[in-house]
Amino acid sequence: MKKLHGYFGILLDVDLSTGQISHREVDPKDLQNFIGGRGLGMKLLWDLLPKPGTDPLSEKNPLLFMTGPFSGFPLPSASRTCVVTKSPITSPLKSKYPGASTVSYSNMGGFFGPEIRFAGYDGLLVRGKSDKPVYLYIDDGKVEIRDAQKFWGQRTDPFDRAFIKELGDRRFRTCYIGPAGENLVPFASIINTAARAAGRGGTGCVMGSKKLKAIAIRGSRQPDVAKHKQFLELLEKARKDFAGTTNTENWRRYGTGSALIRSSDGGSQAVKNFREGTFQHIDKIGGITARRSIWQRDFACFVCPLACKKSGVAPLEPFSGLVHDGPEYETGTMLGANLLITSMNGMQKAIYTADDLGLDIISVGNVIGFLMEAYEKRLINKKFLDGIDLTWGNVDAVLKMLSKIAFQEGVGKAAGKGVKFLAETIGKDSRKFAIHCKGHTFAAWNCHVSPGMGISYATANRGACHLNGRDVHIQNAIALTDTTGVCLFARGGYQGNLISDILETISNRGWSEEQYTIAGERVFNLEKCLNYREGFRKPDDSIPDRFFEEPLTIGPHKGAVLDRKEFEGMLNKYYQKRDWDVNTTRPTDQKLKALGLDFVLPHLDSADT
Amino acid sequence: MKDKELSNRGLESVPPILQNRRSFIKTITIGGAALTVGAIFPTSLTAQSSGGGKPQRSMILVDFDKCTGCRTCETVCAQFNQQKVINGEALWGLGNPYFANIRVYPFNPDADVPIVCLMCKDNPCIEACPVEPDEQGHKALYRDTKTLAIRNNKKRCIACGSCAEACREKRVGAIIPNKETNHPERMCNLCNGDPQCVKYCPYGALTHVKGGLDGRHYAVPAEKIAEELIHRWYGSAGLQRTPYKG
Repeated sequence: MKKLHGYFGILLDVDLSTGQISHREVDPKDLQNFIGGRGLGMKLLWDLLPKPGTDPLSEKNPLLFMTGPFSGFPLPSASRTCVVTKSPITSPLKSKYPGASTVSYSNMGGFFGPEIRFAGYDGLLVRGKSDKPVYLYIDDGKVEIRDAQKFWGQRTDPFDRAFIKELGDRRFRTCYIGPAGENLVPFASIINTAARAAGRGGTGCVMGSKKLKAIAIRGSRQPDVAKHKQFLELLEKARKDFAGTTNTENWRRYGTGSALIRSSDGGSQAVKNFREGTFQHIDKIGGITARRSIWQRDFACFVCPLACKKSGVAPLEPFSGLVHDGPEYETGTMLGANLLITSMNGMQKAIYTADDLGLDIISVGNVIGFLMEAYEKRLINKKFLDGIDLTWGNVDAVLKMLSKIAFQEGVGKAAGKGVKFLAETIGKDSRKFAIHCKGHTFAAWNCHVSPGMGISYATANRGACHLNGRDVHIQNAIALTDTTGVCLFARGGYQGNLISDILETISNRGWSEEQYTIAGERVFNLEKCLNYREGFRKPDDSIPDRFFEEPLTIGPHKGAVLDRKEFEGMLNKYYQKRDWDVNTTRPTDQKLKALGLDFVLPHLDSADT
Repeated sequence: MKDKELSNRGLESVPPILQNRRSFIKTITIGGAALTVGAIFPTSLTAQSSGGGKPQRSMILVDFDKCTGCRTCETVCAQFNQQKVINGEALWGLGNPYFANIRVYPFNPDADVPIVCLMCKDNPCIEACPVEPDEQGHKALYRDTKTLAIRNNKKRCIACGSCAEACREKRVGAIIPNKETNHPERMCNLCNGDPQCVKYCPYGALTHVKGGLDGRHYAVPAEKIAEELIHRWYGSAGLQRTPYKG
């Protein structure tokens, strides 16, 4: 097959064990079928991990920074970087492999992904492990592995500034880990612009295991497109479609923060470690209050008309003068409502601290919420918590926990392993309120009121994920979006078939809308096969008992609870619709062949024996 | 133009440089008529009268309070100015921001500063050009007779870099020498009088205004502008966090 338009067809391949830097050519067939981003990343993960059970923190686990065909073009919100690796946080109930875990992918906004393309690559592949801290310097074709000893230990916010100074040009785009990643906290994040994060799935932990502090990238190139004139016309249409809509206006005004009050009112917010879905003090930490008291500025990712990132300064004591972005829906819930924090300033301090340490806020908000509940129920005492009085709403205690976890001190060692491990350690039925699926914690959406959200969590390939989608069709569509380089938040701005039409002008696959949807399905199934090979089966697709046994006690949706039988029925229907075996969740041979995934078949057969 | 909105904003809490800029915005958007600038700006404005058919100086004005740092300006600038001939037809390019004449510099704490040629009246870049003027009076670096934008005559340019150095040291560093040839690049040409960055900015942060500056008040480097913006938006705490120099 000849070269596909819209791609360079190469990855920058860096082996940190040997110091070797090379180009890895990508098979045009893979570009064709897996498109980019999450999809192409998964195909590469499959190729790079020929056997199941790879220890995620071993040098064999690759860390991929992927772009999509939209990346590097001025298409609205084509700003994402998709980080793909094997997850260091998830695990199956049963497996013959001690290192078994799910796939991991995490999308981050900002400017990094487009710059990968400007430097002349479709993605960065980092392999091996360095024996001393390093950073990766990429200036078009000039690539160097540089010493980062002096930066090791730095928090992300001061590092962001120090790093740019070292590089000597503000036009470099950077991403990096904080102390949490360096200390191998499984839910460490990768941060860029001191606030945007590839938060979920432990990508920062894998980066830390490679002793890779940061990547800096800058470039002057750009791929071509197949149908230049049509591409320009659709670009113009996309720009116009976004302009002046109420959707665009809402993103600009409140970002995801608009959901804080909406979700609380709908009973769908994570409150008190997911015990409740409504927070009676939500107005104190919601978007309207944030707009009034904290947010000063709106910021956008690369060529994005939505500007959903809000930055501001805490005006009052305590923590007055603190400058950071947020709260967003996830950060404001997981380090706000979920911990019953009512102080906007206190919550901002917690958000800033978690970002600064390089912790995934969703995960760490779960861990602290879980420990608060265990402490309240006297399943653990103050001694277990190193003397920290971890009561609901206690900002000071939360800040201490964040630091303990990131630096792996005392209770931070156990807490840093996540809620699944903590529940196993503490026992006494605490697993019922350890809010995770496959070891990956839930995001800030409760599911007492929404079995669909439960399905999204239970069937997500990276472990619990709120952006997975509630049914097969949505999941495939989201997987497709994640291959393009476009932000999911902006997906709705591209009307009709505009996404696939643009993909056609870029690469001219000659595909119909339907075939692009199938590509999303292909990606989802390949992920599933990677997981299946590791030992993930039906019982792993479960959500905590809390949602079936403990109805909401407050709010407009008081009494809401999931029906186990009904939920199981929904799951079974889901597998049928996927054409997966209802008992094992194994995708059928027929489905895999139809998706062009024949190459996985022998591996699934050996996984069954 | 958005004169009303701009001039209605409070000026009390604005640090000196921006205050001047605000006054400038306020004044310059009155239009082509002669300006009464007052004590703040005795000589720095050179608004032109609209009559006479003489070419008018004009420039891209940035409202930093509206800029979100999305860099759409960079991409449309590159699209317009780096056109491609496809099947015999000249079409806009794909907008590689590396080639943009307007460049956005990001800071931490969050502030984005678009930098673009200011069309300085006293043109230190041309002053610095060592090439002898030709019979039209043009050095290698000269003003376009129609748009009055700065242009470079590659045939006469000796690639010494003096113009870029002058712009960097005396003004904003808008001129960037080509990586390979060292010829000056990135001088805003106002897209033949209809700047695309202004047209496409999704946030209305850019305005094309008649007139221009002598550079003494407006023309400060991105670092300095960011320092003042951060001070204004985030207070002194924001500034303490940021080592700007270097």
